[in-house]
Amino acid sequence: MMNLHEKVLEALKSVYDPELNINVVDLGLIYNVEVTESADVTITMTLTTPGCPLHDSITSGVRYSVEGIEETNKVEVNLVWVPAWSPEKMTPEGLKLLGR
Amino acid sequence: MLPQNMGNETNIKLPISFILFSFLALVLSQILLLLNGQIMAGGSFRIPAIWSSAHLIVLGWALMAAMGAMYQLVPVAFLTKIWNEKFGFIQFFVTAVGIATFAGTLYSSPQHALIPGVLTLLGILMFLFQMFMTLKTQAIPTILTAFVGSALVCLFITIFMGITLVYCLKTGVGAEYYQSIFKAHLLMGVTGWFTLLIFGFSYKMVPMFSLSHGFPMVQAKYVYGFYVSGLVITFVSIFINNSVLLKAGFLLLLIGFSVFSWHISIIIKKRLKKKLDKPFTFALVAIGFGNVLHLAAFILLWTHKISTFAGPLIYTYLFLWIVLSIVSYLYKIVPFLWWTYKYSKEIGKNKVPSLKEMMNEKIVTPLFFLFIIAVLIVFCALALKTAILFNIGQFILSIVFIVITACILRVLKK
Repeated sequence: MMNLHEKVLEALKSVYDPELNINVVDLGLIYNVEVTESADVTITMTLTTPGCPLHDSITSGVRYSVEGIEETNKVEVNLVWVPAWSPEKMTPEGLKLLGR
Repeated sequence: MLPQNMGNETNIKLPISFILFSFLALVLSQILLLLNGQIMAGGSFRIPAIWSSAHLIVLGWALMAAMGAMYQLVPVAFLTKIWNEKFGFIQFFVTAVGIATFAGTLYSSPQHALIPGVLTLLGILMFLFQMFMTLKTQAIPTILTAFVGSALVCLFITIFMGITLVYCLKTGVGAEYYQSIFKAHLLMGVTGWFTLLIFGFSYKMVPMFSLSHGFPMVQAKYVYGFYVSGLVITFVSIFINNSVLLKAGFLLLLIGFSVFSWHISIIIKKRLKKKLDKPFTFALVAIGFGNVLHLAAFILLWTHKISTFAGPLIYTYLFLWIVLSIVSYLYKIVPFLWWTYKYSKEIGKNKVPSLKEMMNEKIVTPLFFLFIIAVLIVFCALALKTAILFNIGQFILSIVFIVITACILRVLKK
Protein backbone atom coordinates (compact mmCIF):
# COMPACT_ATOMS: atom_id res chain seq x y z
CA MET A 1 0.00 0.00 0.00
CA MET A 2 1.32 3.45 -0.95
CA ASN A 3 2.18 5.95 1.76
CA LEU A 4 1.09 9.59 1.42
CA HIS A 5 4.44 10.67 0.00
CA GLU A 6 4.13 8.11 -2.78
CA LYS A 7 0.51 9.06 -3.39
CA VAL A 8 1.54 12.72 -3.76
CA LEU A 9 4.20 11.80 -6.32
CA GLU A 10 1.71 9.67 -8.20
CA ALA A 11 -0.82 12.53 -8.22
CA LEU A 12 1.85 14.94 -9.49
CA LYS A 13 2.44 12.62 -12.43
CA SER A 14 -1.06 13.51 -13.61
CA VAL A 15 -0.08 17.17 -14.02
CA TYR A 16 1.23 17.76 -17.52
CA ASP A 17 3.02 20.72 -19.01
CA PRO A 18 0.52 21.26 -21.86
CA GLU A 19 3.18 22.65 -24.22
CA LEU A 20 5.58 19.71 -23.87
CA ASN A 21 2.99 17.11 -22.88
CA ILE A 22 5.30 15.73 -20.18
CA ASN A 23 4.30 15.44 -16.55
CA VAL A 24 5.93 17.72 -13.99
CA VAL A 25 7.76 14.84 -12.28
CA ASP A 26 9.40 13.49 -15.45
CA LEU A 27 10.14 17.06 -16.50
CA GLY A 28 12.17 17.45 -13.29
CA LEU A 29 10.14 20.38 -12.00
CA ILE A 30 9.50 18.88 -8.56
CA TYR A 31 12.44 19.54 -6.26
CA ASN A 32 11.04 18.29 -3.00
CA VAL A 33 7.88 16.85 -1.45
CA GLU A 34 7.57 17.19 2.30
CA VAL A 35 4.79 15.42 4.21
CA THR A 36 4.30 16.13 7.91
CA GLU A 37 2.72 13.80 10.47
CA SER A 38 -0.46 15.88 10.35
CA ALA A 39 -0.61 15.26 6.56
CA ASP A 40 0.38 18.80 5.59
CA VAL A 41 2.12 18.69 2.22
CA THR A 42 4.73 21.20 1.02
CA ILE A 43 5.89 20.92 -2.57
CA THR A 44 8.97 22.77 -3.70
CA MET A 45 9.07 23.10 -7.43
CA THR A 46 10.36 25.16 -10.32
CA LEU A 47 9.50 25.82 -13.97
CA THR A 48 11.71 25.42 -17.04
CA THR A 49 12.03 29.22 -17.32
CA PRO A 50 11.08 32.12 -15.00
CA GLY A 51 9.00 33.63 -17.82
CA CYS A 52 6.91 30.52 -18.37
CA PRO A 53 3.46 31.61 -19.65
CA LEU A 54 1.94 28.54 -17.99
CA HIS A 55 3.23 29.64 -14.60
CA ASP A 56 -0.12 29.96 -12.81
CA SER A 57 -1.73 26.99 -14.58
CA ILE A 58 1.02 24.51 -13.70
CA THR A 59 1.42 25.62 -10.08
CA SER A 60 -2.37 25.56 -9.58
CA GLY A 61 -2.51 22.12 -11.24
CA VAL A 62 0.13 20.83 -8.82
CA ARG A 63 -1.92 22.15 -5.88
CA TYR A 64 -5.24 20.76 -7.18
CA SER A 65 -3.77 17.32 -7.86
CA VAL A 66 -2.45 16.98 -4.30
CA GLU A 67 -5.56 18.49 -2.73
CA GLY A 68 -7.47 15.75 -4.56
CA ILE A 69 -5.86 13.12 -2.31
CA GLU A 70 -8.29 12.45 0.57
CA GLU A 71 -5.70 12.12 3.35
CA THR A 72 -3.98 15.46 2.73
CA ASN A 73 -4.53 18.34 5.08
CA LYS A 74 -2.93 21.64 4.03
CA VAL A 75 -1.13 21.87 0.68
CA GLU A 76 1.54 24.47 0.03
CA VAL A 77 3.37 25.00 -3.26
CA ASN A 78 6.67 26.87 -3.15
CA LEU A 79 7.91 27.99 -6.51
CA VAL A 80 11.66 28.53 -6.56
CA TRP A 81 14.13 29.63 -9.22
CA VAL A 82 17.26 28.68 -7.31
CA PRO A 83 18.60 26.21 -8.24
CA ALA A 84 17.47 26.84 -11.82
CA TRP A 85 15.91 24.00 -13.79
CA SER A 86 18.28 22.16 -16.12
CA PRO A 87 17.82 19.15 -18.46
CA GLU A 88 19.79 16.98 -16.00
CA LYS A 89 16.79 17.18 -13.66
CA MET A 90 14.57 15.29 -16.14
CA THR A 91 13.93 11.59 -15.79
CA PRO A 92 14.97 9.19 -18.61
CA GLU A 93 11.23 8.88 -19.47
CA GLY A 94 10.95 12.65 -19.83
CA LEU A 95 14.00 12.83 -22.08
CA LYS A 96 12.65 9.99 -24.18
CA LEU A 97 9.43 11.92 -24.75
CA LEU A 98 11.49 14.80 -26.14
CA GLY A 99 13.09 12.41 -28.61
CA ARG A 100 16.37 12.21 -26.67
CA MET B 1 15.90 27.88 -2.17
CA LEU B 2 13.97 31.12 -2.42
CA PRO B 3 10.22 30.70 -2.74
CA GLN B 4 8.67 33.07 -5.26
CA ASN B 5 5.10 33.28 -6.35
CA MET B 6 4.76 35.55 -9.31
CA GLY B 7 1.42 35.04 -10.98
CA ASN B 8 1.40 37.75 -13.63
CA GLU B 9 -1.04 36.31 -16.14
CA THR B 10 -3.34 38.74 -17.96
CA ASN B 11 -7.13 38.43 -18.16
CA ILE B 12 -7.30 36.27 -21.28
CA LYS B 13 -10.26 38.26 -22.70
CA LEU B 14 -7.95 41.21 -23.34
CA PRO B 15 -5.45 39.56 -25.74
CA ILE B 16 -8.25 37.49 -27.30
CA SER B 17 -10.24 40.69 -28.14
CA PHE B 18 -7.23 42.11 -30.01
CA ILE B 19 -6.56 38.85 -31.84
CA LEU B 20 -10.18 38.35 -32.94
CA PHE B 21 -10.34 41.91 -34.26
CA SER B 22 -7.05 41.35 -36.07
CA PHE B 23 -8.42 38.37 -38.01
CA LEU B 24 -11.49 40.31 -39.07
CA ALA B 25 -9.22 43.07 -40.41
CA LEU B 26 -7.07 40.47 -42.18
CA VAL B 27 -10.01 39.01 -44.09
CA LEU B 28 -11.26 42.51 -45.04
CA SER B 29 -7.82 43.61 -46.24
CA GLN B 30 -7.64 40.57 -48.50
CA ILE B 31 -11.04 41.27 -50.03
CA LEU B 32 -9.93 44.84 -50.79
CA LEU B 33 -6.72 43.63 -52.42
CA LEU B 34 -8.62 41.13 -54.55
CA LEU B 35 -11.02 43.82 -55.73
CA ASN B 36 -8.20 46.21 -56.68
CA GLY B 37 -5.61 43.77 -57.97
CA GLN B 38 -5.36 45.12 -61.49
CA ILE B 39 -4.46 48.66 -60.41
CA MET B 40 -1.80 47.39 -58.00
CA ALA B 41 -0.31 45.01 -60.55
CA GLY B 42 0.08 48.01 -62.88
CA GLY B 43 2.57 49.47 -60.40
CA SER B 44 0.19 51.90 -58.67
CA PHE B 45 0.44 51.38 -54.93
CA ARG B 46 -0.66 54.83 -53.82
CA ILE B 47 -4.38 54.54 -54.42
CA PRO B 48 -7.06 54.82 -51.68
CA ALA B 49 -8.02 51.13 -51.81
CA ILE B 50 -4.39 50.04 -51.38
CA TRP B 51 -3.85 52.55 -48.57
CA SER B 52 -6.92 51.16 -46.88
CA SER B 53 -5.91 47.53 -47.42
CA ALA B 54 -2.28 48.16 -46.38
CA HIS B 55 -3.38 49.86 -43.16
CA LEU B 56 -5.94 47.14 -42.48
CA ILE B 57 -3.26 44.50 -42.73
CA VAL B 58 -0.51 46.48 -40.99
CA LEU B 59 -2.57 48.25 -38.31
CA GLY B 60 -5.77 46.19 -38.19
CA TRP B 61 -4.15 42.80 -38.35
CA ALA B 62 -0.41 42.87 -37.58
CA LEU B 63 -0.44 45.71 -35.04
CA MET B 64 -3.60 44.54 -33.25
CA ALA B 65 -2.31 40.94 -33.18
CA ALA B 66 1.06 42.18 -31.90
CA MET B 67 -0.67 44.27 -29.22
CA GLY B 68 -2.79 41.28 -28.17
CA ALA B 69 0.28 39.05 -28.07
CA MET B 70 2.14 41.69 -26.05
CA TYR B 71 -0.64 41.91 -23.48
CA GLN B 72 -0.07 38.21 -23.00
CA LEU B 73 3.69 37.96 -23.43
CA VAL B 74 4.99 41.08 -21.67
CA PRO B 75 3.86 39.95 -18.19
CA VAL B 76 5.46 36.53 -18.62
CA ALA B 77 8.59 37.67 -20.44
CA PHE B 78 9.29 40.60 -18.13
CA LEU B 79 7.83 39.05 -14.97
CA THR B 80 5.58 42.00 -14.27
CA LYS B 81 1.81 42.53 -14.29
CA ILE B 82 0.10 44.65 -16.95
CA TRP B 83 -0.15 48.12 -15.40
CA ASN B 84 -3.94 48.50 -15.77
CA GLU B 85 -6.15 45.90 -17.46
CA LYS B 86 -9.24 48.14 -17.48
CA PHE B 87 -7.21 50.75 -19.31
CA GLY B 88 -6.25 47.93 -21.70
CA PHE B 89 -9.90 47.24 -22.59
CA ILE B 90 -10.53 50.96 -23.16
CA GLN B 91 -7.39 51.07 -25.30
CA PHE B 92 -8.69 48.14 -27.33
CA PHE B 93 -12.00 49.90 -27.95
CA VAL B 94 -10.38 53.23 -28.96
CA THR B 95 -7.82 51.56 -31.25
CA ALA B 96 -10.37 49.22 -32.86
CA VAL B 97 -12.77 52.09 -33.63
CA GLY B 98 -9.85 54.25 -34.79
CA ILE B 99 -8.44 51.65 -37.19
CA ALA B 100 -11.86 50.65 -38.57
CA THR B 101 -12.83 54.27 -39.31
CA PHE B 102 -9.32 55.13 -40.51
CA ALA B 103 -9.32 52.27 -43.05
CA GLY B 104 -12.86 53.24 -44.05
CA THR B 105 -12.07 56.90 -44.69
CA LEU B 106 -8.78 56.04 -46.45
CA TYR B 107 -10.90 54.02 -48.87
CA SER B 108 -13.80 56.42 -49.33
CA SER B 109 -12.36 59.91 -48.71
CA PRO B 110 -8.64 60.01 -47.75
CA GLN B 111 -8.79 63.79 -47.17
CA HIS B 112 -11.03 63.09 -44.16
CA ALA B 113 -8.69 60.49 -42.65
CA LEU B 114 -7.16 62.92 -40.16
CA ILE B 115 -9.69 62.53 -37.31
CA PRO B 116 -9.86 58.70 -37.49
CA GLY B 117 -6.06 58.79 -37.80
CA VAL B 118 -5.86 60.85 -34.61
CA LEU B 119 -8.19 58.35 -32.90
CA THR B 120 -5.91 55.50 -34.03
CA LEU B 121 -2.94 57.51 -32.79
CA LEU B 122 -4.67 57.99 -29.44
CA GLY B 123 -5.26 54.21 -29.18
CA ILE B 124 -1.63 53.49 -29.99
CA LEU B 125 -0.40 56.17 -27.59
CA MET B 126 -2.57 54.59 -24.89
CA PHE B 127 -0.91 51.27 -25.68
CA LEU B 128 2.55 52.85 -25.52
CA PHE B 129 1.67 54.43 -22.18
CA GLN B 130 0.37 51.09 -20.87
CA MET B 131 3.58 49.34 -21.94
CA PHE B 132 5.77 52.13 -20.56
CA MET B 133 4.05 51.90 -17.17
CA THR B 134 4.30 48.08 -17.26
CA LEU B 135 7.98 47.91 -18.29
CA LYS B 136 8.83 50.58 -15.71
CA THR B 137 8.00 48.15 -12.93
CA GLN B 138 10.34 45.45 -14.27
CA ALA B 139 12.88 44.65 -11.56
CA ILE B 140 15.96 44.17 -13.76
CA PRO B 141 15.84 45.35 -17.40
CA THR B 142 17.29 42.83 -19.87
CA ILE B 143 18.28 42.86 -23.53
CA LEU B 144 14.64 41.94 -24.26
CA THR B 145 13.63 45.23 -22.64
CA ALA B 146 15.97 47.04 -25.04
CA PHE B 147 14.47 45.29 -28.10
CA VAL B 148 10.84 45.72 -27.06
CA GLY B 149 11.39 49.27 -25.73
CA SER B 150 13.10 50.34 -28.98
CA ALA B 151 10.34 48.66 -31.01
CA LEU B 152 7.80 50.77 -29.10
CA VAL B 153 9.82 53.93 -29.81
CA CYS B 154 9.84 53.00 -33.52
CA LEU B 155 6.08 52.46 -33.37
CA PHE B 156 5.66 55.96 -31.95
CA ILE B 157 7.83 57.46 -34.73
CA THR B 158 5.91 55.45 -37.38
CA ILE B 159 2.58 56.74 -36.17
CA PHE B 160 3.89 60.29 -35.83
CA MET B 161 5.21 60.13 -39.42
CA GLY B 162 1.93 58.64 -40.62
CA ILE B 163 -0.12 61.42 -39.06
CA THR B 164 2.30 63.98 -40.54
CA LEU B 165 1.71 62.40 -43.97
CA VAL B 166 -2.06 62.73 -43.60
CA TYR B 167 -1.61 66.36 -42.44
CA CYS B 168 0.64 67.11 -45.48
CA LEU B 169 -1.94 65.53 -47.76
CA LYS B 170 -4.76 67.58 -46.27
CA THR B 171 -3.01 70.96 -46.06
CA GLY B 172 -0.21 70.75 -48.63
CA VAL B 173 2.25 71.90 -45.97
CA GLY B 174 5.75 70.32 -46.18
CA ALA B 175 5.15 68.84 -49.63
CA GLU B 176 8.91 68.82 -50.32
CA TYR B 177 9.46 66.43 -47.40
CA TYR B 178 6.55 64.15 -48.27
CA GLN B 179 8.73 61.46 -49.95
CA SER B 180 11.24 61.43 -47.09
CA ILE B 181 8.51 61.22 -44.45
CA PHE B 182 6.84 58.40 -46.39
CA LYS B 183 10.09 56.41 -46.61
CA ALA B 184 10.86 57.01 -42.92
CA HIS B 185 7.30 55.93 -42.05
CA LEU B 186 7.87 52.62 -43.88
CA LEU B 187 11.35 52.13 -42.43
CA MET B 188 10.28 52.70 -38.83
CA GLY B 189 7.08 50.70 -39.17
CA VAL B 190 8.36 47.68 -41.03
CA THR B 191 12.01 47.28 -40.04
CA GLY B 192 11.82 49.25 -36.79
CA TRP B 193 8.68 48.32 -34.90
CA PHE B 194 7.90 44.86 -36.26
CA THR B 195 11.42 43.51 -36.73
CA LEU B 196 12.69 44.69 -33.34
CA LEU B 197 9.56 43.32 -31.68
CA ILE B 198 9.93 39.91 -33.36
CA PHE B 199 13.66 39.88 -32.47
CA GLY B 200 12.87 40.62 -28.82
CA PHE B 201 10.11 38.08 -28.37
CA SER B 202 11.99 35.46 -30.42
CA TYR B 203 14.60 35.47 -27.67
CA LYS B 204 11.82 34.39 -25.31
CA MET B 205 9.77 32.15 -27.59
CA VAL B 206 12.50 30.27 -29.50
CA PRO B 207 14.10 28.77 -26.34
CA MET B 208 10.61 28.15 -24.90
CA PHE B 209 9.19 26.28 -27.90
CA SER B 210 12.39 24.32 -28.54
CA LEU B 211 13.23 23.85 -24.86
CA SER B 212 16.75 25.13 -25.46
CA HIS B 213 19.11 25.34 -22.56
CA GLY B 214 22.64 26.59 -21.90
CA PHE B 215 22.94 28.85 -24.94
CA PRO B 216 24.92 32.11 -24.98
CA MET B 217 23.08 35.46 -25.08
CA VAL B 218 26.04 37.73 -25.80
CA GLN B 219 25.19 37.85 -29.53
CA ALA B 220 21.88 39.59 -28.77
CA LYS B 221 23.78 42.75 -27.80
CA TYR B 222 25.47 42.80 -31.22
CA VAL B 223 22.15 42.18 -32.96
CA TYR B 224 20.69 45.15 -31.10
CA GLY B 225 23.73 47.39 -31.69
CA PHE B 226 24.02 46.71 -35.42
CA TYR B 227 20.31 46.75 -36.18
CA VAL B 228 19.40 49.86 -34.19
CA SER B 229 22.39 51.82 -35.52
CA GLY B 230 21.36 50.67 -39.03
CA LEU B 231 17.88 52.04 -38.41
CA VAL B 232 19.17 55.38 -37.12
CA ILE B 233 21.66 55.83 -39.99
CA THR B 234 19.09 54.85 -42.64
CA PHE B 235 16.55 57.21 -41.05
CA VAL B 236 19.00 60.14 -41.11
CA SER B 237 20.15 59.34 -44.68
CA ILE B 238 16.55 59.51 -45.92
CA PHE B 239 16.18 63.09 -44.67
CA ILE B 240 19.61 64.40 -45.71
CA ASN B 241 19.46 62.44 -48.99
CA ASN B 242 22.91 60.90 -48.60
CA SER B 243 23.43 57.71 -50.63
CA VAL B 244 26.67 56.66 -48.88
CA LEU B 245 24.98 56.89 -45.51
CA LEU B 246 21.99 54.97 -46.88
CA LYS B 247 24.29 52.14 -48.02
CA ALA B 248 25.98 52.11 -44.60
CA GLY B 249 22.56 51.95 -42.94
CA PHE B 250 21.43 49.03 -45.14
CA LEU B 251 24.73 47.23 -44.45
CA LEU B 252 24.30 47.59 -40.69
CA LEU B 253 20.70 46.33 -40.92
CA LEU B 254 21.93 43.33 -42.93
CA ILE B 255 24.70 42.58 -40.40
CA GLY B 256 22.27 42.93 -37.49
CA PHE B 257 19.77 40.56 -39.09
CA SER B 258 22.50 38.06 -40.04
CA VAL B 259 23.86 37.98 -36.49
CA PHE B 260 20.29 37.41 -35.27
CA SER B 261 19.84 34.45 -37.69
CA TRP B 262 23.16 32.99 -36.58
CA HIS B 263 22.27 33.45 -32.91
CA ILE B 264 18.89 31.77 -33.34
CA SER B 265 20.61 28.84 -35.09
CA ILE B 266 22.91 28.50 -32.04
CA ILE B 267 19.87 28.48 -29.71
CA ILE B 268 18.13 25.86 -31.87
CA LYS B 269 21.22 23.63 -31.82
CA LYS B 270 21.03 23.68 -28.01
CA ARG B 271 17.44 22.44 -27.98
CA LEU B 272 16.17 19.46 -26.03
CA LYS B 273 13.01 19.04 -28.07
CA LYS B 274 14.21 17.05 -31.04
CA LYS B 275 11.11 17.41 -33.20
CA LEU B 276 9.90 20.98 -33.42
CA ASP B 277 6.24 21.91 -33.85
CA LYS B 278 5.33 22.74 -37.44
CA PRO B 279 4.05 26.34 -36.91
CA PHE B 280 7.19 27.13 -34.93
CA THR B 281 9.36 25.68 -37.72
CA PHE B 282 7.79 28.20 -40.10
CA ALA B 283 8.62 31.03 -37.67
CA LEU B 284 12.24 29.92 -38.12
CA VAL B 285 11.80 29.76 -41.91
CA ALA B 286 10.56 33.38 -41.75
CA ILE B 287 13.89 34.41 -40.20
CA GLY B 288 15.66 32.91 -43.24
CA PHE B 289 13.41 34.90 -45.58
CA GLY B 290 14.00 38.10 -43.61
CA ASN B 291 17.74 37.61 -43.89
CA VAL B 292 17.64 36.90 -47.63
CA LEU B 293 15.46 39.98 -48.19
CA HIS B 294 17.86 42.21 -46.23
CA LEU B 295 20.68 40.87 -48.42
CA ALA B 296 18.60 41.46 -51.57
CA ALA B 297 17.80 45.04 -50.48
CA PHE B 298 21.48 45.72 -49.87
CA ILE B 299 22.54 44.29 -53.25
CA LEU B 300 19.78 46.18 -55.09
CA LEU B 301 20.83 49.41 -53.39
CA TRP B 302 24.43 48.92 -54.48
CA THR B 303 23.41 48.08 -58.04
CA HIS B 304 21.08 51.13 -58.14
CA LYS B 305 18.01 48.96 -58.77
CA ILE B 306 16.33 49.51 -55.43
CA SER B 307 13.77 52.01 -56.74
CA THR B 308 12.55 49.48 -59.34
CA PHE B 309 12.12 46.70 -56.82
CA ALA B 310 11.25 48.70 -53.68
CA GLY B 311 7.50 47.95 -53.84
CA PRO B 312 7.80 44.17 -54.44
CA LEU B 313 10.65 43.96 -51.93
CA ILE B 314 8.74 45.70 -49.12
CA TYR B 315 5.69 43.56 -49.92
CA THR B 316 7.73 40.35 -49.70
CA TYR B 317 9.52 41.49 -46.52
CA LEU B 318 6.16 42.31 -44.95
CA PHE B 319 4.66 38.93 -45.86
CA LEU B 320 7.52 36.41 -45.74
CA TRP B 321 9.20 37.82 -42.65
CA ILE B 322 6.65 39.75 -40.57
CA VAL B 323 3.33 38.12 -41.51
CA LEU B 324 4.80 34.60 -41.60
CA SER B 325 6.41 35.14 -38.17
CA ILE B 326 3.20 36.54 -36.65
CA VAL B 327 0.95 33.83 -38.15
CA SER B 328 3.36 31.09 -37.02
CA TYR B 329 3.46 32.43 -33.48
CA LEU B 330 -0.31 33.00 -33.42
CA TYR B 331 -0.68 29.29 -34.16
CA LYS B 332 1.05 28.78 -30.82
CA ILE B 333 -0.35 31.76 -28.88
CA VAL B 334 -4.09 31.38 -29.66
CA PRO B 335 -4.30 27.72 -28.49
CA PHE B 336 -2.37 28.73 -25.40
CA LEU B 337 -4.77 31.62 -24.62
CA TRP B 338 -7.83 29.44 -25.14
CA TRP B 339 -6.33 26.56 -23.22
CA THR B 340 -5.62 28.91 -20.29
CA TYR B 341 -9.17 30.26 -20.45
CA LYS B 342 -10.81 26.84 -20.60
CA TYR B 343 -8.52 24.39 -18.86
CA SER B 344 -6.23 26.21 -16.41
CA LYS B 345 -8.70 25.52 -13.60
CA GLU B 346 -9.04 21.88 -14.68
CA ILE B 347 -5.36 20.91 -14.73
CA GLY B 348 -4.58 18.57 -11.84
CA LYS B 349 -8.30 17.78 -11.40
CA ASN B 350 -9.32 16.30 -14.76
CA LYS B 351 -7.57 15.18 -17.92
CA VAL B 352 -6.88 18.20 -20.10
CA PRO B 353 -5.72 18.36 -23.73
CA SER B 354 -2.18 19.35 -24.65
CA LEU B 355 -1.68 22.55 -26.64
CA LYS B 356 -0.81 20.47 -29.69
CA GLU B 357 -4.22 18.79 -29.50
CA MET B 358 -5.93 22.20 -29.64
CA MET B 359 -4.80 22.83 -33.22
CA ASN B 360 -4.90 20.84 -36.44
CA GLU B 361 -1.19 20.62 -37.18
CA LYS B 362 -1.53 18.49 -40.30
CA ILE B 363 -2.81 21.42 -42.32
CA VAL B 364 0.07 23.71 -41.31
CA THR B 365 2.76 22.49 -43.74
CA PRO B 366 0.64 22.52 -46.95
CA LEU B 367 -1.07 25.76 -45.92
CA PHE B 368 2.13 27.63 -45.11
CA PHE B 369 3.85 26.31 -48.23
CA LEU B 370 0.94 27.59 -50.27
CA PHE B 371 1.25 30.93 -48.46
CA ILE B 372 4.94 31.17 -49.41
CA ILE B 373 4.25 30.21 -53.03
CA ALA B 374 1.41 32.75 -53.27
CA VAL B 375 3.62 35.56 -51.91
CA LEU B 376 6.36 34.65 -54.39
CA ILE B 377 3.82 34.70 -57.23
CA VAL B 378 2.65 38.17 -56.13
CA PHE B 379 6.29 39.27 -55.87
CA CYS B 380 6.90 38.17 -59.48
CA ALA B 381 3.66 39.82 -60.58
CA LEU B 382 4.65 43.11 -58.95
CA ALA B 383 8.20 42.95 -60.33
CA LEU B 384 7.02 42.06 -63.85
CA LYS B 385 3.84 44.18 -63.59
CA THR B 386 1.63 41.29 -64.70
CA ALA B 387 -1.99 41.69 -63.65
CA ILE B 388 -3.04 38.08 -64.29
CA LEU B 389 -0.15 36.68 -62.23
CA PHE B 390 -1.00 39.14 -59.46
CA ASN B 391 -4.63 38.05 -59.43
CA ILE B 392 -3.65 34.35 -59.26
CA GLY B 393 -1.17 34.92 -56.43
CA GLN B 394 -3.47 37.26 -54.50
CA PHE B 395 -6.42 34.90 -54.93
CA ILE B 396 -4.41 31.97 -53.48
CA LEU B 397 -3.13 34.22 -50.70
CA SER B 398 -6.60 35.44 -49.76
CA ILE B 399 -7.89 31.86 -49.65
CA VAL B 400 -4.90 30.83 -47.52
CA PHE B 401 -5.55 33.73 -45.12
CA ILE B 402 -9.21 32.83 -44.83
CA VAL B 403 -8.32 29.16 -44.14
CA ILE B 404 -5.68 30.24 -41.57
CA THR B 405 -8.29 32.48 -39.89
CA ALA B 406 -10.81 29.62 -39.85
CA CYS B 407 -8.20 27.18 -38.45
CA ILE B 408 -7.16 29.57 -35.69
CA LEU B 409 -10.76 30.47 -34.83
CA ARG B 410 -11.68 26.76 -34.71
CA VAL B 411 -9.46 26.53 -31.64
CA LEU B 412 -12.14 28.51 -29.81
CA LYS B 413 -14.48 25.54 -30.22
CA LYS B 414 -12.12 23.14 -28.45
